[in-house]
Amino acid sequence: MSITRVNIGPIHPSTHGVLRLVVDLEGDTIENIEPHIGFLHRGVEKLVETRMYMQCPPYMEKIDYVAPMSVDELYVAAVEKAMGVEVSEKAQYVRVVLLELQRIASHLFWVGSICNDLGQLFTTFMWGFRDRDMVLHLLEIATGQRMFYVNMRLGGLSRDLPEGFGEKTLELMDYLEKRLKEYENLIEKNPIFVDRMKGIGRLSRGDAKEFGVTGHVMRASGLDYDVRSERPYYVYRKLNFRKQYHLSGDNLARYEVRIMEIKESIRLVREALAGMPEGSAAGMPIKLITPNAKNRIVMESRENPRGEEMIYLVADPQKPYRLSIRSPTFINLAALNHMARGSRLADLFSIMGTLDLVLADVDR
Amino acid sequence: MIYSLAYLLNSGNIYYEAAGVVAYAILVSILIFAFSYLFGWVERKLIAKMQYRHGPTYVGKYGILQNMADLVKLLAKEIIIPENANRFILLAAPILLVAMNIFLIFLIPFVPALQLGSFGLGLLAVFVVLGFTPILIFLTGFSSGNKFADISAQRSVLTLISYEIPMIIVIATAAALAHGYSIYSMVSAQSGIDFAFLMPIGLFIFFIAMLAELERPPFDLREADSELIAGWLTDISAPYYALFLLLDYSRMFLGSLLISIIFFGGWLGPAFLPPIVWLVAKAFTIAIFITILRATTMRMRIDKILRIGWIWLMPLALINLIIAYMLLL
Amino acid sequence: MKVERQALTEKVSVLKSEGFDYLVKITAVDYVSHVDAIYIMRNMDKNVDEVLEVEMDPSDLWLPTIIKHHASADWYERELSEMFGIEIKGRHARRLLLEKWDGKGSPMRKNFVWGEPYPKS
Repeated sequence: MSITRVNIGPIHPSTHGVLRLVVDLEGDTIENIEPHIGFLHRGVEKLVETRMYMQCPPYMEKIDYVAPMSVDELYVAAVEKAMGVEVSEKAQYVRVVLLELQRIASHLFWVGSICNDLGQLFTTFMWGFRDRDMVLHLLEIATGQRMFYVNMRLGGLSRDLPEGFGEKTLELMDYLEKRLKEYENLIEKNPIFVDRMKGIGRLSRGDAKEFGVTGHVMRASGLDYDVRSERPYYVYRKLNFRKQYHLSGDNLARYEVRIMEIKESIRLVREALAGMPEGSAAGMPIKLITPNAKNRIVMESRENPRGEEMIYLVADPQKPYRLSIRSPTFINLAALNHMARGSRLADLFSIMGTLDLVLADVDR
Repeated sequence: MIYSLAYLLNSGNIYYEAAGVVAYAILVSILIFAFSYLFGWVERKLIAKMQYRHGPTYVGKYGILQNMADLVKLLAKEIIIPENANRFILLAAPILLVAMNIFLIFLIPFVPALQLGSFGLGLLAVFVVLGFTPILIFLTGFSSGNKFADISAQRSVLTLISYEIPMIIVIATAAALAHGYSIYSMVSAQSGIDFAFLMPIGLFIFFIAMLAELERPPFDLREADSELIAGWLTDISAPYYALFLLLDYSRMFLGSLLISIIFFGGWLGPAFLPPIVWLVAKAFTIAIFITILRATTMRMRIDKILRIGWIWLMPLALINLIIAYMLLL
Repeated sequence: MKVERQALTEKVSVLKSEGFDYLVKITAVDYVSHVDAIYIMRNMDKNVDEVLEVEMDPSDLWLPTIIKHHASADWYERELSEMFGIEIKGRHARRLLLEKWDGKGSPMRKNFVWGEPYPKS
């Protein structure tokens, strides 16, 4: 049979941004995929070399626009490490609460968009967006912004949590738990969903290691590595965090890992709010910072919603000398060819959907 | 008015009959457009409610004129024909498709008194003409010179062909129960009990096959938007796309009409409403059920769809046929 | 850990047999006097990282490929060769990964000249 070469993207309904895939099809079966990335390459790594340390967080947030705070926090943590700044315990708790809320928001976004990729008419998408927006509203109460927060400061946050934030959060967490059951009824009990997800895009444990995938893709394949539990930062050690993983490594496993992670995050938020100590979470105001990097080379990694994000920072006193970001989606996307080869064209999009690509994060 | 129309059609004078046919055509066309328009609005509102949205609210009361605004927008756009498209087929096929579907709806007697389309093999004629649809779809997709349209047209034809056979078998069963393929005999045979209760398996098969025929979710491989952009409509320009939207809803109307005629007793119903209202109301209810399915299901994969068609629906249709014959004996 | 580039492939395979079989990242730093390529490997069972630093002279930038040992090195190596102008030996030269431009120089090198933001036509 002859091979049809189909060009998908860079403008396409389900590439989640500007991603171009050149797909070789034999009939309906995928022979080879050649991803073309870089349409969203902004050269952030080069750009920050010309900026002062605390001018960079806005750029960092745009790296992962679905979960901006996580990258912002990672960058600030790396700078803190370079400058030897300690984070107060209250600030640690607040950061954990906000990061977990951000994770919930990001995962809800994904749950909606994966159903869209499977061809549902935006119903779960709208549900996910609605619930995500409620979480974003909480973050807006806490930081003053709905999406791009820029609320991390050296040693803490731009401001303390406002009055009544805890009660509102707990209320929302109860609501979200109820909603997750509804999602289950709508999605997981749908035989077509299970049929489209089970056994599709299988990635074995060995291949997961070989291709270096990370985050939920890795954990769904049985590699139970979560930075929050293996190298606990902040108060995750105290919080009795349980990493979520699955053994089968297919689309359904990735979906289930994410749902379990939402539940775990809800539990973590509750626990962190209950254990929140007294004190101030405020960090240094930007104007008062006198940059004085002590450590020359800093490596810092965080479990972001999409996987392990790592910063390799070579610090000058005033500016980052070199800032290299290991983005999780970049390396997950590199494994796409291996995962989707041999499956059907329709499954390519569900596999790509489960990778949870954010093209800004891929291209940086 | 309907009875005067019936009088015209049955008068025996050829001029009167011609006038009657034209009047009937205008009436049915209005009905189709009204149904398509109203149903488009109801569908938008219903799906919006299921998704915690408001749907159209701005244009007109409750956004009822939104579809009109969309139509005007689509009609005002430029027609673009891709360079390697077959211009003639690309422009002719949509019009033929729509004309064919409207013709099919003409064959359905909305009022028992009207004799148009009441010949002995009425229902079979409907399905014969309906069988031309895949060819036109394939022509449209293939002639637009787009790979997405090409793939989608192939899928579309595969689905339609493999689901047409169980559907025809179910119709044969219904015809056996009704002693004839005429729509009248089909409906009058249900004056006692609806065929839906006589052959529930048949209803199930026919409904699924109809979904595939209408290319509604979960069988909407035609506009598999997450994979094939817009399927065989990818390179269709806006005014023609408006035509296809009309086609979409008129096919839905036709499908729900057929289901209500074959299984739910067509225009039969308590006398406080005229028969035409019963028929359209039944069709509307079925269409709304299809819409609810549309909002909740995911799309099936083409190989699974074909498998279900051949492995499940075919034997079930045959079982249904056997049960029906046992009922007859 | 500093590694000579001639010994890199061997070192990587030895590390892999010792359990450092997860490649976290390949990156590079331009220190003007020399360019360092940095390989971060992880042993997941013991939860330790191993950082390999390969020092190169700016006039003679090349690295051996480690794609045989880590499939994930593919895109990282392509990114390196694109951003730093490091020639990766032993693998197919591929098209540019991130940038869609035809400018000169390697963007992440310190001697890169920032040009006009938009070409004037």
